[in-house]
Amino acid sequence: MAVSWLRRLAARAPVPVFPALGVHGDAMLRELALDPGVELVGSPRHASVLLVAGGVPPDQHAALRRVHDQVPRPFATLWWRSEPLDGLENATRIDAPSALSDALIAAHRDVMLGRRGSSPRLLPDEPPNPWEGLGDDGHGGEGMMGGVPYGRPMAMNMHDDLRDGLTLDSLTFRLGPFFPALPPGMQAEVTLQGDLVQTWAVQHAPYPLGLDAVFFDARQQPVSIAELELARARYHLYRLFHGLWLAGLESVGLHVLRLARSLTPDSRVDGLRRRLARCGFFDLTMTASAALDDEQARQIGGPAARAAGLADDLRSEDANYRRLGFTPVCQQEGNTRARWWQALAEIDQSLALARQAAARDVQTSEVGSVETPRGPWREGQRPQDASHLLDELLPGLEWGEALAAIASLDLAAVSEWPLDASVAEPRTTPPEEYRA
Amino acid sequence: MELLTLFIIMLVILCAGLAVQWPTVRRQSLPTYPQRAPFLGGGLPDTHAWNRYHVRYYPMTLLLIAFEMEMMFMYPWAVVFVEKGMMAMMEMGMFLAILSVGIVYAWREGVFRWQ
Repeated sequence: MAVSWLRRLAARAPVPVFPALGVHGDAMLRELALDPGVELVGSPRHASVLLVAGGVPPDQHAALRRVHDQVPRPFATLWWRSEPLDGLENATRIDAPSALSDALIAAHRDVMLGRRGSSPRLLPDEPPNPWEGLGDDGHGGEGMMGGVPYGRPMAMNMHDDLRDGLTLDSLTFRLGPFFPALPPGMQAEVTLQGDLVQTWAVQHAPYPLGLDAVFFDARQQPVSIAELELARARYHLYRLFHGLWLAGLESVGLHVLRLARSLTPDSRVDGLRRRLARCGFFDLTMTASAALDDEQARQIGGPAARAAGLADDLRSEDANYRRLGFTPVCQQEGNTRARWWQALAEIDQSLALARQAAARDVQTSEVGSVETPRGPWREGQRPQDASHLLDELLPGLEWGEALAAIASLDLAAVSEWPLDASVAEPRTTPPEEYRA
Repeated sequence: MELLTLFIIMLVILCAGLAVQWPTVRRQSLPTYPQRAPFLGGGLPDTHAWNRYHVRYYPMTLLLIAFEMEMMFMYPWAVVFVEKGMMAMMEMGMFLAILSVGIVYAWREGVFRWQ
């Protein structure tokens, strides 16, 4: 009777998983999002399994320890293609993508039924800043501001307000690298005044993006345009999923993921466009901000630049693309909403190109440089990290606008290694065995 | 007698509620300090969270009170109006005029613009 009825119920529920994403970890996330046995949560406080997906650089281990210790007991950790932290030698490491979902469910069940103990705490149970009860009223010190009762200063207004002159206390904190609304690996020091971003300083650039192997092949030899364009459309759909998930439109996000998984040249996005318009994604007021100027748009390149009206696209230089009637699609405003319209337009265009190319079996004619979904990849010049642009783009925006802008911008550098094909490829057989 | 019964029931419920909250009854210690820290994706805050924060809908709530007060006083006034006639009409007119100044002021300050 050690196990209560409630625990047995909890063990049967979908597994609340908090993913801490390492290098190339986001590919696995999209697989898990569609798994009915797994529920991805946005905070470790709601999780009972911490999934570390992908390698984490040693300088971010301290942050990972803090996230690990914020999961309430009892909980399990799972390490997907990642080395467990010191002190967690008994933790489960998984490398095969197909085994991950089952391992998550098994770990959750074992922890809930008490078959295995909770993951140990890694940090000492001490207050980060001990109470210093000084002063007449034990308020921490002397003087008008009451000193520093917890060793940390009171929030004080150091800056004038950027919005309407109503000065509030500014709040400085460091965010990331495992904050789900930021690109994986990005760390920033943020000062908020109320809900307004006062300063934003990127301290650690996001991990390089893993692109589909076909973009790497396209630099070596002619590849099928249909295949290239489908990979491009899939990439933009994945980004759209993240933006929708952040906007709280999860069911539309899952629709996007399912579309990406079953993408063929004959797929259409008309239904998706209607659904996005109906759910109000493009009408969100927070998407009408964070417009890029020409210089910033040029530095980021790719769809973000085209959303700001720059018609730069390496595909225009490819004779076979021109034969298919390719001209770059552009938006004008360059803000968050224009970037999402651009993503949708590029998905539509890629599918149209793929349809034509598949019918005539056309291949690329240029090698050496390729237009990746992140931006142009010229001779030896991969798209570089542009996250430092956030430092000038975000101040003055409200918190929601800032997060929406980050989701719509693709700022990470492109990795020199392609995404592992076994992860990138949509899994066709759903795991059924664990239901038995 | 009934009051006493109700009082005892209330007392028992209150005691039971407090007892459930008692840490030794819950058999759970408080979460550790690292767990109680705010979740910032691995980052740390510089200050603690005791800061002044402006609730942006605050003027809206004040305005609601201005409208609400009108309505609240107009219900009893409607009863008295039958007896008092024109005098009550004048008094209510003055009251509404004073409240309207507040609303007009709020209008000028841009409270009705939704941001």
